[in-house]
Amino acid sequence: MRFKIYYFLFLVFLIGTVNLLKAQTPSDALMMEKNELCIALLYQHDTWDEYWEGSLLRENKNIGVLTRNTILPMMAYGITNKFNIIAALPYVTTEASGGQMVGASGLQDFGIFAKYAPYEIKKESGSLSTFVTGGFSLPVSSYLSDYMPFSLGLGTQEFSIRGIAKYEHKSGIYLRGSYAYLHRTTTEAERDYYYADGSFYTTTMDVPSASNAELALGGWLFKKSLQLEAGYVTQTSFSGDDIRRQNAGQPTNKMDMATINGRLRYFPSVLKGMSIVVGYTDVVSGRNVGKSTIISGGLTYQFMLKKPQSQP
Amino acid sequence: MTFNKYIYRFCFLFGLLSIIIFTQSCEKDLPRFVAFEPYSFAGLDDDGGTWKQVHMASVEQIKIDAPTDPNSDAYKNEIAAAKAAIASMTADDEDAVKYWGNNPIVRWNEIARELAAKYNLIPPPNADGTYTLPDPANPGKFPYFPFAHPPYSSRAYAYMSVAQFDALIATWHYKYKFGRPALHKNDGTIKQSLPTSDLPSYPSDGAVVAAVSREILSAMFPLEKEYLKSKSDEAKEALILSGLHVQSDVTAGDSLGRGVAKVLLQRAAGDGMKFAQTPKPISDSIKNAAFVRFGWQWTNQESPVRPVGLTPLFGKVKTWNVTDLVDVRPPVPPAIGSAEFNKAADELKNIADNITTEQRKIANWWSDGFSTTTPPGHWNKLASDYLVKYKLNPLRSARTLAYMNMAVQDAGISCWDAKYYYHYPRPIEAIPGFKGILGTPNFPSYTSGHSTFSAAAAAVLGYIFPAEKSFVDAWALEAAESRIYGGIHYRFDSEAGLVQGTQVAEYTINKAKVDGAK
Repeated sequence: MRFKIYYFLFLVFLIGTVNLLKAQTPSDALMMEKNELCIALLYQHDTWDEYWEGSLLRENKNIGVLTRNTILPMMAYGITNKFNIIAALPYVTTEASGGQMVGASGLQDFGIFAKYAPYEIKKESGSLSTFVTGGFSLPVSSYLSDYMPFSLGLGTQEFSIRGIAKYEHKSGIYLRGSYAYLHRTTTEAERDYYYADGSFYTTTMDVPSASNAELALGGWLFKKSLQLEAGYVTQTSFSGDDIRRQNAGQPTNKMDMATINGRLRYFPSVLKGMSIVVGYTDVVSGRNVGKSTIISGGLTYQFMLKKPQSQP
Repeated sequence: MTFNKYIYRFCFLFGLLSIIIFTQSCEKDLPRFVAFEPYSFAGLDDDGGTWKQVHMASVEQIKIDAPTDPNSDAYKNEIAAAKAAIASMTADDEDAVKYWGNNPIVRWNEIARELAAKYNLIPPPNADGTYTLPDPANPGKFPYFPFAHPPYSSRAYAYMSVAQFDALIATWHYKYKFGRPALHKNDGTIKQSLPTSDLPSYPSDGAVVAAVSREILSAMFPLEKEYLKSKSDEAKEALILSGLHVQSDVTAGDSLGRGVAKVLLQRAAGDGMKFAQTPKPISDSIKNAAFVRFGWQWTNQESPVRPVGLTPLFGKVKTWNVTDLVDVRPPVPPAIGSAEFNKAADELKNIADNITTEQRKIANWWSDGFSTTTPPGHWNKLASDYLVKYKLNPLRSARTLAYMNMAVQDAGISCWDAKYYYHYPRPIEAIPGFKGILGTPNFPSYTSGHSTFSAAAAAVLGYIFPAEKSFVDAWALEAAESRIYGGIHYRFDSEAGLVQGTQVAEYTINKAKVDGAK
């Protein structure tokens, strides 16, 4: 049971591995049991005072510190032991400490994901398991994506496919890797001409699709009441233009980044089904993104919707 | 249970496959230029050669040789060469012919707008908090020359359009003077891939426009010389491949176009633009004069502070048609803290707190900020669409844009005169804690440039296309309103700008009324 509780580590991935703009695909390596429901409420505080204009890391005193706060309610449900669905709907606010441009706030993108666990090999020394996640997200408010760096998100539909493999040693130490393809459609600007390495005569902007790769090492302490994990994540756009000198970014930009992160999850023995998650993420390199530092925290609670049928 | 398992597995994999297929099928193919079908001209303006030029002394100020006789071997050889080139056209050549179409004014205006957008980036601060300005003597050294801000771009559009117009009046003069018949009348077997007309073919109007536009834009955007040469070469080649012209039509047009451009560039060299971006002591004295006069002054609010506003002396640049800027200078704006000022400030605060999606869209639609074609460019796009809609020939098209862009640049000059005469602070400076959704530009508030540019453009377009007057006036009003929604102008900035732009345009329209065009 407790093993399954930490299924919700993926929530922390949403906090930690996102591209700063929108929620990311579930990328953990665990499944809910049939009829098991987990609800979670997470908070993410993302700040940067430098960003990459193309490949040039710079400050901009007319932005000062850009703060992006996200409140993220989520749920996951086990349809079967091997097939889960996950849904999330972030609320985002943005604000700059400098300059005279007003920030934005509102609901961002609703995401729904299906997760499937096709194969697992169990041995006495440990286990190897594989997972596939497919997801879809779309904007649920009329936020303007072409309002960088304040925009709530990229304003695009996103289809994602992620493959995950995980090896867990019997000691509880595990290694997990995953690779995702994020297909993004287009977003609508509120102008019918824009420049992105040349002219575009349309309100439609192509939002570059991207890959996302992750490697994580984790383990358990104190009779599996405390989980620690460290990870490295890269996100790379397949196309896109650079932010030009002293220009604002736009959704057509090639947004790349590499992040390191650390996470902690604690299961208080007095509150069955409850856990507290805390995370820290640092963007270590990037292109056309903020050099963010992200702290996050939240609560998860999980329980069975129906009692398991008793075995005859 | 096992059966169920396979069902789920199947459904899931099927779902993923569907996602892949679906996403592959919605690849994005977005328009990189304005597509228009080549069309038959609504009229040829046979008397175009008698119209009054804007700047040239006479239609024969630039001379071209008489063409060879239509029955000469030399001309027949040229036709044979054109046919051979047409016979070996590639698919790319065919695309080029279609792209250039038969109204080169539309394309060259589009090229100018793209260059404006490409160069419309403000210099960033240096590490020590100072700013370096672009250096026309060393355009390739960062920050690159030019910074194609609205005044700069309005001037580039105006020179290109006026040069095109004057060159095409001369072109029409020579076409009808020499009377070399349209190519299909000389040779009925040549393959023509554009609509034909009875317009005499020598010199080629397309070549004139390519040459004149290339020369003006190369001067305005010196780092683009190679690019502009390649566009001009492509345009000239397309003229022959289209089956409308032979090489001597193109060569003569090229020579005429370059000659006219040279004369206009002499005007540009002495129009005062090189002094528009002043050193700080002059900028400070202008600012101080306003403070002494009115008790207020505008100061840049960026961090680090830009020491000099954008082109403080653009108001001293030579106008095209306005005779005395003081005649069109708007009245003194409300004093800071007066009841009228407070009312305007309250409106801005109210909009900032309760902005609607519609207001936001209008602000963004007309924002025309950095990396865009600028407000004058926005109106050039709207005007270009009318050229196609009304099937104007190149001469009529050039006339439309020449008058519009003269009025627009004059509006900019007049607006800048008011901006630096009154030196009025922006809402972000005068209203404590105020923030908006548009970035505030680096120049004083009163009057609104976008309003002035737009009213002037709309006045000329409404004169030339009377059926569109209500639309263009409504757009100008919306453009003026957009600055209030964006939080970068008070209502009185926009209202005064609309009046000013309309008044400025009258000078240009009065010239248009007597230029001989019916």
